[in-house]
Amino acid sequence: MELSDANLQTLTEYLKKTLDPDPAIRRPAEKFLESVEGSQNYPLLLLTLLEKSQENVIKVCASVTFKNYIKRNWRIVEDEPNKICESDRIAIKANIVPLMLSSPEQIQKQLSDAISIIGREDFPQKWPDLLTEMVNRFQSGDFHVINGVLRTAHSLFKRYRHEFKSNELWTEIKLVLDAFALPLTNLFKATIELCSTHANDASALKVLFSSLILIAKLFYSLNFQDLPEFFEDNMETWMTNFHSLLTLDNKLLQTDDEEEAGLLELLKSQICDNAALYAQKYDEEFQPYLPRFVTAIWNLLVTTGQEVKYDLLVSNAIQFLASVCERPHYKHLFEDQNTLTSICEKVIVPNMEFRAADEEAFEDNSEEYIRRDLEGSDIDTRRRAACDLVRGLCKFFEGPVTGIFSGYVNSMLQEYAKNPSVNWKHKDAAIYLVTSLASKAQTQKHGITQANELVNLTEFFVNHIQPDLKSATVNEFPVLKADGIKYIMIFRNQVPKEQLLVSIPLLINHLQAESIVVHTYAAHALERLFTMRGTNNATLITAAEMAPFVEVLLTNLFKALTLPGSSENEYIMKGKCLRIFSLLQESIIPYIPSVIAQLTQKLLAVSKNPSKPHFNHYMFESICLSIRITCKANPEAVGSFEEALFLVFTEILQNDVQEFIPYVFQVMSLLLEMHKNEIPSSYMALFPHLLQPVLWERTGNIPPLVRLLQAYLERGASTIASAAADKIPGLLGVFQKLIASKANDHQGFYLLNSIIEHMPPESVDQYRKQIFILLFQRLQNSKTTKFIKSFLVFINLYCVRYGALALQEIFDSIQPKMFGMVLEKIIIPEIQKVSGQVEKKICAVGITKILTECPPMMDTEYTKLWIPLLQALIGLFELPEDDTIPDEEHFIDIEDTPGYQTAFSQLAFAGKKEHDPVGQMVNNPRIHLAQSLHKLSTACPGRVLSMLSTSLNAEALQYLQGYLQAASVSLL
Amino acid sequence: LRRQRAEVSVELRKAKKDEQLLKRRNISIHVEEKNPFLGQDRAAEIIQPSLEEILEAVNGEDTQLQLLATQATRRLLSKHKDAPINQIIELGIIPRLVEFLGRADNAALQFEAAWALTNIASGTSEHTRAVVEGGAIPALISLLSSPHMHISEQSVWALGNIAGDGPIYRDALIARDVIPSLLALVSPATPVGVLRNITWTLSNLCRNKNPCPPMDAVEKILPVLVILLQHEDESVISDSCWAVSYLTDGCNDRIQVVVETGILPRLVALMDSPDLIIMTPALRAVGNVVTGTDQQTQEAIDAGVLTVLPRLLRHSKSAIQKEAAWTLSNIAAGPSHQIQQIITCGLLPPLVELLDKGDFKAQKEAVWVVANFTTGAAVHQVVELVRSGVLKPLLNLLLVKDSKTILIILDTISNLFLAAEKLGKTEKLCLLVEELDGLEKIEDLQNHENDMVYRAALDIIEKYFSGEENINLEPQTGQDGLYDFSVEKQDFNF
Repeated sequence: MELSDANLQTLTEYLKKTLDPDPAIRRPAEKFLESVEGSQNYPLLLLTLLEKSQENVIKVCASVTFKNYIKRNWRIVEDEPNKICESDRIAIKANIVPLMLSSPEQIQKQLSDAISIIGREDFPQKWPDLLTEMVNRFQSGDFHVINGVLRTAHSLFKRYRHEFKSNELWTEIKLVLDAFALPLTNLFKATIELCSTHANDASALKVLFSSLILIAKLFYSLNFQDLPEFFEDNMETWMTNFHSLLTLDNKLLQTDDEEEAGLLELLKSQICDNAALYAQKYDEEFQPYLPRFVTAIWNLLVTTGQEVKYDLLVSNAIQFLASVCERPHYKHLFEDQNTLTSICEKVIVPNMEFRAADEEAFEDNSEEYIRRDLEGSDIDTRRRAACDLVRGLCKFFEGPVTGIFSGYVNSMLQEYAKNPSVNWKHKDAAIYLVTSLASKAQTQKHGITQANELVNLTEFFVNHIQPDLKSATVNEFPVLKADGIKYIMIFRNQVPKEQLLVSIPLLINHLQAESIVVHTYAAHALERLFTMRGTNNATLITAAEMAPFVEVLLTNLFKALTLPGSSENEYIMKGKCLRIFSLLQESIIPYIPSVIAQLTQKLLAVSKNPSKPHFNHYMFESICLSIRITCKANPEAVGSFEEALFLVFTEILQNDVQEFIPYVFQVMSLLLEMHKNEIPSSYMALFPHLLQPVLWERTGNIPPLVRLLQAYLERGASTIASAAADKIPGLLGVFQKLIASKANDHQGFYLLNSIIEHMPPESVDQYRKQIFILLFQRLQNSKTTKFIKSFLVFINLYCVRYGALALQEIFDSIQPKMFGMVLEKIIIPEIQKVSGQVEKKICAVGITKILTECPPMMDTEYTKLWIPLLQALIGLFELPEDDTIPDEEHFIDIEDTPGYQTAFSQLAFAGKKEHDPVGQMVNNPRIHLAQSLHKLSTACPGRVLSMLSTSLNAEALQYLQGYLQAASVSLL
Repeated sequence: LRRQRAEVSVELRKAKKDEQLLKRRNISIHVEEKNPFLGQDRAAEIIQPSLEEILEAVNGEDTQLQLLATQATRRLLSKHKDAPINQIIELGIIPRLVEFLGRADNAALQFEAAWALTNIASGTSEHTRAVVEGGAIPALISLLSSPHMHISEQSVWALGNIAGDGPIYRDALIARDVIPSLLALVSPATPVGVLRNITWTLSNLCRNKNPCPPMDAVEKILPVLVILLQHEDESVISDSCWAVSYLTDGCNDRIQVVVETGILPRLVALMDSPDLIIMTPALRAVGNVVTGTDQQTQEAIDAGVLTVLPRLLRHSKSAIQKEAAWTLSNIAAGPSHQIQQIITCGLLPPLVELLDKGDFKAQKEAVWVVANFTTGAAVHQVVELVRSGVLKPLLNLLLVKDSKTILIILDTISNLFLAAEKLGKTEKLCLLVEELDGLEKIEDLQNHENDMVYRAALDIIEKYFSGEENINLEPQTGQDGLYDFSVEKQDFNF
């Protein structure tokens, strides 16, 4: 393409078309531009257009197109053609800087980005004069130009903030420092001088402050990797000026906007960052300056207003103080009583005040408010920063700080007492102050775990918290009510039990409060109290203690779900189901029919548009728990649950409500397992649908579906074999699907184990060989420890079910000597990896069978593996046992949310009981081994003894003798 | 991963402050009183001749004027501030001063010339070169055996400045056989002041890499260093330690010759010295030794380094903490029985403290300790580490302003997960990481600008906080719309 007017004209037209909203016009134009972008001069045409076009939109469009072109093509990739011809590259580099600097801001930004992309590839080796060219512009005195240079430099250098230290990088930085550091410093000084000469010129100041912000950012980049010699030598200049900028104020720079931070705030924020960088990384060198910054920053805090636009600056500044005050060698800066008092009074207290913005959130955006206040997503807020500062100060000055604040708390409470309806915010601040002062460590699970001993929490509770909650009007001073409830929640481990018991009816009463925050907090607080543990790991609050309140509690909880804004309130659902049901157990049975009716209603309503995952989760947990508690006392009741639930479940499955399907499968499993007799036909009708691939493609469905199919196999294997034999390949296909995945293979084995255990042997006869081939393939191509463990359990289960000889025969029919290979390469070396009591037992019984009931082990070449296999088995016995959790605890001690796997949410209360397939057959596997060996030795006298005495190692032999003794048998 | 001292040869920082001086000027004022060769006429000292007068006198034949001019030169060069080294060099009198060194008949002149040359050589590399190119090396070496103690001492000093310039002049001196003459000066009778100068010069002969000093020279110096390390004077001990620290700053063969002298127990004892000027180089020397082989490291452990390190990790100076942590990081890079000794000697609590509250440079090294530890440790040792509370400060450091450190922490977290997997405690660790606000931080790092950091974070999230993968055994879908159960047989060999 030539640099001709005709080409410029063509290009202009196509660029214009790329802006067309109609894709029929836009797409071909974009295609055309792509097709010509490989031509020589194309980028130069774009540069010409963005400089000279008559139309502004074309200028801007050309600049964006140019930047994207550079982004796609500038990098030269090894073994790929150079996409931009060398002469264009040279021309671009020669022209782009002046062009960028003379362009209006909108275009300047695009070109500046382009320069930094080019710079990333070419700077410094292939663009040696870039820096000089830029630095020379500092002299121009034209701040539009200077800001262009600074912006470009910033985009070139900001990668120093995240790249790894390397010789190459540091050589570049050194080069930049040599060329750039001094001019930048001079520019910094000059700009500051200009700021005072132009102190009365608002528009000049704006430009100058934009420069200062960029300069401060460049300082950050250049000082990030290490403290450069130049900046160490010139620390005085920089830090003195930074310091005075922190203290500077100018009416002309103040903005009217309450929300958006202005130039002055941005600059000061960056300076706080710079000081924090030095304090973190170059503490030793920065020490002389640090005290001044501490003073300046706290003065800044004292004088900065409450508007939202200052939030970032204020929280940055407080965090700076918080990080400094907990370092031992800066302790002295804060030690003085007056200093402490003034920090407490002027920095901490004002930033803890409940602001208009907080009040707004409390009322109109309560979800956000709760998240911030309760779950700690308040990292950038002023309150949080102030709270961190309190904790930092308490590290060294716990006594004095507590003393100072006690005074404040008292005076604020007095203010409140004078006129509660006007001064309630004082009490709020007082409670917040006590809370942040008293809490030293906190977890979601336990609330506050370490408290400041100087604060009497119980006294405060009795005198100032309970009175508010006892007030007859639950809707008065909602913020204070929420504060009080939160207080109970977080100090539950510090306040004595009798006080907690007093609080319970108060909390139940507040479930009726109109304020979403208040009734949510009440539900949450109750839920937390019910999880507390007393002695012997029993719940602190007992069912008996709760009995008088059950009815009103349930009523109020359901009522709360009808309050505006709380129809899907997860805290209420959680408080209700998990804690209350599991605490009260059978005493709740009378209420369950009405509970289930209400829950089904809720489920039906919510399934139209599920939006609150936690709420939904707890709702299903509630359903499971209701089923469990009821059916434990009365198994027949399962039918009434099915009646109540299946209609809604069908609807959910038919409408493919993806969020709920895994839950439905789990509840169905639970229900199916409650049946004592043959599988009901209603379940069988559903069976083919459960094998649909579309269900299995969703990860979240896999665990509950496997669980459900296992329930089908346990209850209905013979029905499947007789009535749905044509579905067996599909069932095995699911097994194959699962076994193909490293993540899901254990699920595949669960399914396979159930098939082998429950299906009538003849129904799966024709597939058995295939099953093993599949497993061997996985073993050969991509074995993992997890796979091997499951594989070992499976083949031993197979052996238990079908006999050792059948196992040997099927292996050797797949490939000669296969059985020996699996014994030698897999079973013997890996058996110790098997974990879990039941799993180990299955393996022990299976191996015992191989040793004693498999003739080829005695009279073929496999005989040489007999002793090693026995030795491996004894090893398996004598390994230390895994401490498995007792059955009950699976259901009791579930904590909080279902975790990260949003796709699969396991219901704790739908939990499956552990199943031991050899339980009835073999009680003690060691004795079983002894007895089996005895039997074998009777069949072939002398053989066993001679093998043992020649090759079993002494230690193993000793264990074995122990087993024989315990079984009171001996070998012949 | 054992890390040698210098990873990056480009430095942005000022030269380190805790280094030993490369070159020193003799600006002592008291020497004059002690100098018996000076004339009685003290007034002459006050009248400072001009540079022209000096030039003329030095080049003239009048011995007395030569002496006075040389003395004046030396005095100029001994000024506290702004010694006019360049002007003196430009006068072109260095060859003449070198010549004066040979005037065995005029000890005063020899002394003044040696002093002047010492101070010229104490300047920049160019200044030193001017002295060497003036032919001073052989003359100074022969003055080592001067009958006058103060002259040989001044020569020792001058030679020290030349040796300190760098490996080229150092080796030039060694080639001229400076070592035997220097060592001959060491005897029980040597005054302590002289001994200090000799030790310092010896340390400069051991100093610098690329290349290291010749092995035979090292082997000559070492036995004397072993003796000097037992001396009672702190600056003799300090410079001897520096010398050993230079000799050990290199490949394992270099470390080996030092280890073989059996000096490690003494060095470890000196690491514990309350005196910073002794502790610093002793720690550096031992720190270098443990960059060596497992066996060399074991010798340092046997000498008791692990019993001293806890105190140094808690030292009030952050530079010492940092160096101690670096040393520990290299021990932690060893086999698991050495890691066990780290645990047994109670290093974990101070390590966790340092990770939590140390200065940034020290924290960085502490991160390396943890990283190396988790790479080589047995599972139960990793459990011990986690129990000591390492996780909280480690996760907090994910906020640090240094990408490399962040990456190492992420790698360490992966190591911890590998151990947890072996124990079947993956979920427990997941929970712990979340409780300590680590998950939040790792998730944030998925937005990190640095590609490797981003990928490492993503990797952890995908592996432990979600995850799924597939292989080629996937079934097809059959005619009935269900999965087809089928597989091709192949030959198996496990």
